[in-house]
Amino acid sequence: MEIEKGKTFKYLKEKREVSQQAKDGLKEFNRIKKAILDALKEGELTVIQLSEKLNMPRPEVVYYLMSLVKYGFVATGEVDDMDEYFTYKIKQ
Amino acid sequence: MNGATNHLNFDAVVVGGGVAGGEAALNLASNGYKVLLVEKELSIGGKMIMLSKVFPTLDCAACITTPKVSEISRHPNITIYTGSEISNINKIAENNFEVTVVKQPRYVVVEDCTACQLCEQACPVSVPDQYQYNMVGRKAAFIPFSIASPKAAAIDIESCVLCGACEKVCPTHCIDFTQEVQTLQIDTKTVILATGFKLFDPLMIPRYGFGMYKNVITSMQMERELAPTRPFNTVLRPGDGKVPDKIAYVLCTGSRDATVGNPICSQICCMYSIKQAQLLMGALPMADVTIYYINIRSFGKGFEEFYQQAKGMGVNFVKGKIGKISEQDNGNLTLRYEDINEGILKEADHDMVILSVGVLPNKDASAFFSQDELQLDPYNFIYQTDELVSPARTSIPGVFVAGTASGPMDIPDSILSAGSASSEAISYLINGQ
Repeated sequence: MEIEKGKTFKYLKEKREVSQQAKDGLKEFNRIKKAILDALKEGELTVIQLSEKLNMPRPEVVYYLMSLVKYGFVATGEVDDMDEYFTYKIKQ
Repeated sequence: MNGATNHLNFDAVVVGGGVAGGEAALNLASNGYKVLLVEKELSIGGKMIMLSKVFPTLDCAACITTPKVSEISRHPNITIYTGSEISNINKIAENNFEVTVVKQPRYVVVEDCTACQLCEQACPVSVPDQYQYNMVGRKAAFIPFSIASPKAAAIDIESCVLCGACEKVCPTHCIDFTQEVQTLQIDTKTVILATGFKLFDPLMIPRYGFGMYKNVITSMQMERELAPTRPFNTVLRPGDGKVPDKIAYVLCTGSRDATVGNPICSQICCMYSIKQAQLLMGALPMADVTIYYINIRSFGKGFEEFYQQAKGMGVNFVKGKIGKISEQDNGNLTLRYEDINEGILKEADHDMVILSVGVLPNKDASAFFSQDELQLDPYNFIYQTDELVSPARTSIPGVFVAGTASGPMDIPDSILSAGSASSEAISYLINGQ
């Protein structure tokens, strides 16, 4: 197969199958990303509030929310009066 | 990258690009010897580059490591292979070793990558970031971490869905999915083993609840939480994002514990826990920090003063052995422990627990040698055949050991050990001429 610079992924695609785990992982991430971003559209939320709203375990919310902060989709808001929980919002 | 050549000559091969291997390579290179530094990770810098600060001076770890790492990377006498592992070392004669190195494809031409991160932004995949100890995600096209060396992207091919988004946005066309595994034959005159250590996996002690209770984390995870390149915006509980205010340290997790197969002291846990306690009190001024210990071993220069300083800052030291950790509904943790001074069982509540995990041997090095036997000590660290007179010597003449590959030690001792290994290697090279 001829290899075109900038499109070498096609070369590897012919040689190697993408694992089901990688495909499922991508689907799962997209689903959760959409759910979190949709939930935050209505206003700032804490991890606990997000967890209740999405019916998702809190540790998972922390992991995905912090990943979305890292990727630039979500920003950290204010901490509550007890200095315990931060809110998170859509990054403008 | 010497990709086309598959038979190369060096004066020395240094295995492991951590603080000890890097120092040894630099010493040899500065004396005019050609060195190949082989590192299995995507960046050199070892475990030290992941740390927040160092004890007992509280110097920023990155500020010490980064210039060193860049000096190693830029040195004309040092060739670095990252993402590479030794598959075999064969001693033919004195000053004559044949080393086989297997280099995994990075799928990025390092020399052409400008670390612009456009591929990272374009990549749709998110998987746990091993360099943040899985507390946050990273992309499949990613720069390992911000102070990585080489600072270049890499493709995690196991997680990649081959969508081509990274290639499309890469301005320098440095992404190359045609790269393949390379096996390289190296001729060298001497070998330095700086294969470092492994951290104890607390899953081995189920009664501590690590893995099950998300607010029980390892000291390395806390180290990341305290580093400037931290996974969260501040120190938070991974269980629910709460800012913790009652934090416990469990010392000797996987050290001095024959039941998990590691009866020896790891030498660094007391001091790094005291360091983290001080940093936590700086980051979270309202927090209570308690350290549960068997003995505090503050044996080094400035260590006892550092310990006393922590006490003075209000860190609570409890001589107690943890029996069991259990989780409450709100994610807080109950520690059941034996108060060693009073000889009674007690319970205490904390909202986050840090397990001060110990140092375990990295046994990889013994498998490198097919002809000769690399002897290990009773604890599976590399055996120093003449520890008092010639501490870098191993059971194979011409093969030297540097850093924690020979046993638990702190950073200054690792650097001293690397100095000794490089000096001995140089003597060996000169005698062989």
